[in-house]
Amino acid sequence: MKKFIFGLAAAVTLAAFNIGGAFAGKPDNSIRFAYDQAPESVDPYFNNVRIGVIIGQHVWDTLIYRNPETGEYKGELASAWQQVDDRTIEFDLQHGIKFHNGEEFDADDVVYTLNYVADPKHGVTTQQNVAWIEKAEKIDKYKVRLTTKEVFPAAIEYLSGPVVIHPNEYYEKVGPEGMNAKPVGTGPFRVTEYDVGKSITLEKNPDYFADSPKKQGPIEKIVIRFIPDRQTQMAEVLSDGVDFIMYVPKDQAEQLEAVPNLQVVSGETMRIAFMQMNSQENTPSKALKDERVRKAIIYAIDRETMVKEIVGAGSRVLNTICFPKQFGCTDEGAPGYEYNPDKAKALLAEAGYANGLELDLVAYRERNQTEAIIGYLKAVGINANLQFLQYAAMRDLIRSNKAMLTHQTWGSFSVNDVSAATPVYFGYEKDDISRDSEVRDLLKKGDTTMLPEDRKAAYHDALKLIAEHAYAVPLYSLPVYYVATADLNFKAYPDEMPRFWEMTWK
Amino acid sequence: MVDAALSLQTIMEPAAGARLRRRMFGQKSFVLGGGLLLVIIVVALLAPLLATHDPYTQDLARRMVPPFWYGKGSFEHILGTDNLGRDYFSRLLYGARISLLIGLSVMVISGIIGTALGLVAGYFGGKADLAVTFLVTTRLAMPVMLVALAVVAIVGGSLPVIILVLGFLKWDRFAVVMRSATQQARSLDYVAAAEAVGASTSRIILGEILPNVLPQLIVVATLEAASAILLEASLSFLGLGVQPPLPSWGLMISEAKSYMFFSFWLIAIPGTMLALLVLAINLAGDGLRDIFAPEGR
Repeated sequence: MKKFIFGLAAAVTLAAFNIGGAFAGKPDNSIRFAYDQAPESVDPYFNNVRIGVIIGQHVWDTLIYRNPETGEYKGELASAWQQVDDRTIEFDLQHGIKFHNGEEFDADDVVYTLNYVADPKHGVTTQQNVAWIEKAEKIDKYKVRLTTKEVFPAAIEYLSGPVVIHPNEYYEKVGPEGMNAKPVGTGPFRVTEYDVGKSITLEKNPDYFADSPKKQGPIEKIVIRFIPDRQTQMAEVLSDGVDFIMYVPKDQAEQLEAVPNLQVVSGETMRIAFMQMNSQENTPSKALKDERVRKAIIYAIDRETMVKEIVGAGSRVLNTICFPKQFGCTDEGAPGYEYNPDKAKALLAEAGYANGLELDLVAYRERNQTEAIIGYLKAVGINANLQFLQYAAMRDLIRSNKAMLTHQTWGSFSVNDVSAATPVYFGYEKDDISRDSEVRDLLKKGDTTMLPEDRKAAYHDALKLIAEHAYAVPLYSLPVYYVATADLNFKAYPDEMPRFWEMTWK
Repeated sequence: MVDAALSLQTIMEPAAGARLRRRMFGQKSFVLGGGLLLVIIVVALLAPLLATHDPYTQDLARRMVPPFWYGKGSFEHILGTDNLGRDYFSRLLYGARISLLIGLSVMVISGIIGTALGLVAGYFGGKADLAVTFLVTTRLAMPVMLVALAVVAIVGGSLPVIILVLGFLKWDRFAVVMRSATQQARSLDYVAAAEAVGASTSRIILGEILPNVLPQLIVVATLEAASAILLEASLSFLGLGVQPPLPSWGLMISEAKSYMFFSFWLIAIPGTMLALLVLAINLAGDGLRDIFAPEGR
């Protein structure tokens, strides 16, 4: 308690005298960025947290680049590509690109990386991102052929996002642990200092290739500090100890707007919030196997009001478990469940829980939203015991079938295709705790059909089934609030990716 | 407290009752602490009558209303509303119940365990004493907070769990104090007299020794109650104690933490109440000690 008061006093004093800001920001082109979670590994294939994706896009490059505004694909490490047949794509690679350690980029790097991550025995954390790859082959020094396991129309989308290219010689020598300890990529920034769990420093890559669609801007240095406590982050940004924070809760962002040397930028993201309800065999809560109970839970939550009052600008209520702008995402024909606590109580009574029901609810972020949900559930007689955990701990609980209700969010790795969202939670992947084989088959069909219209139809049917059986509670899309020093010029993209390489000063 | 006064009277001369009362009211810290504690207890008991709203009803459209003395506040919500639109005043009242319930239950559980051990060790001495001393040392070797955190992390936090965990962890001071107090009382004449007339061991321990060590017991009990309340608040603050939506003060402080830069009253109000309650208990305990054993000042 004493420390805490001291911290507060220190923060206030710092804010008053504006100490600590003298050597950062615009004068020396550096940005100090605070983030609340440290990645398990910096290697983009071995973490599934947002900061991992952010670091991944700065330190590494992908074969293909997707313009975040137009959605149009361009070559990045690949100069051109063509679909040879349903399962084969050929890439022509850029010449003369060098990795941060001086290694030359060529077909060997692409082939090694893709084959390495596609092999399940290497245990890539983000299986969903790589499991579709069958093999990559070298045709010549700057030409690569990629084969997918099945017809996989979203391949280009994945190759422009999470599938980064590692240097083969280095990666072969040091493996994922070495890549985490000393990351090496081709990206616009290179890692110059890394204090595991504490901070990571990125500096502008002076040899970055000129034709990259990621154009380098004036930012020379990014210092990312992992500060788990949001209040400390706020104190830091108020006292000019950091220049950039993201995922600031709505209330605080609105209050920080009034601070003169700060700016608040917000927008809708692809991140969706939803609740899983464990209804598979051996679920720890029998009640959740009853469709009426699951429907009651959806009816009990006033999502409209939550969006308006506590979620924030740019978010919208969802009716299906996917982000509306993703290819294949639709809520057509899916029943929407309006806020109706009386109906919820009636359904619970019908299911035999007129006297109430005890459930566990596991959550990991936006705790105030979880508590609002708990409040709504309590109002219809469901006592939800909150277990508020770190993401990894929550994931373990879910994957070992110990969770009842979850308050989840999913950002789809910024992949603009429904195959990156719904199948993760309903396609018999590890996080699927409803396990309906019909849904799985429809999703599978959508993932592996070539014709866009057929894909859409399959996803439509799957999403409709999920909603009809109330396998999960679709909540809302989440907005992101960035708070940054007022002289920084940047945009909030729906893929939650701050692009430091293109930021400028006002 | 009433029991203590009564049993004290039985062993004092009749006039001592009046003298005790005079001493009690002459004791400023006891009057202040006891008075404050009494007010909090009454308020907690009458919470359903005094509360202006249901402490659980959330109204997201009316959230973060400031207390009435601010321009935007109103008397509908005297202390405003929290981040989910729940009436802060009502939550504060119900929160007092939780704090007191925890303080009292932990005090009783740990008091029973610690007193029993202390009496046995002090009266029988020898191997019994060795065994109890060993237990106390073992217990003291484990930091309460750490063990509580570990247990709660495994079992999951809830009100009964917190009470049991703290109750089974905080008996050490009772045992230590009771042991030395019993050792002293053991050698006194009235114990020898009771032994001489053939009183049974249990009669001697419960009938002769226990009433005579009660003053020390009461002082330890107040200290332990206060420390249990603080521990619960800390656990709840860390998210491992009482679970939402129960209105524990520690939890209220934790939830208000996000708003402390701009809506400081959210954290200041429950924080003040917690400080006041602990202060009241400690003052009352201090006062009691001075009343029963003025030579210890």
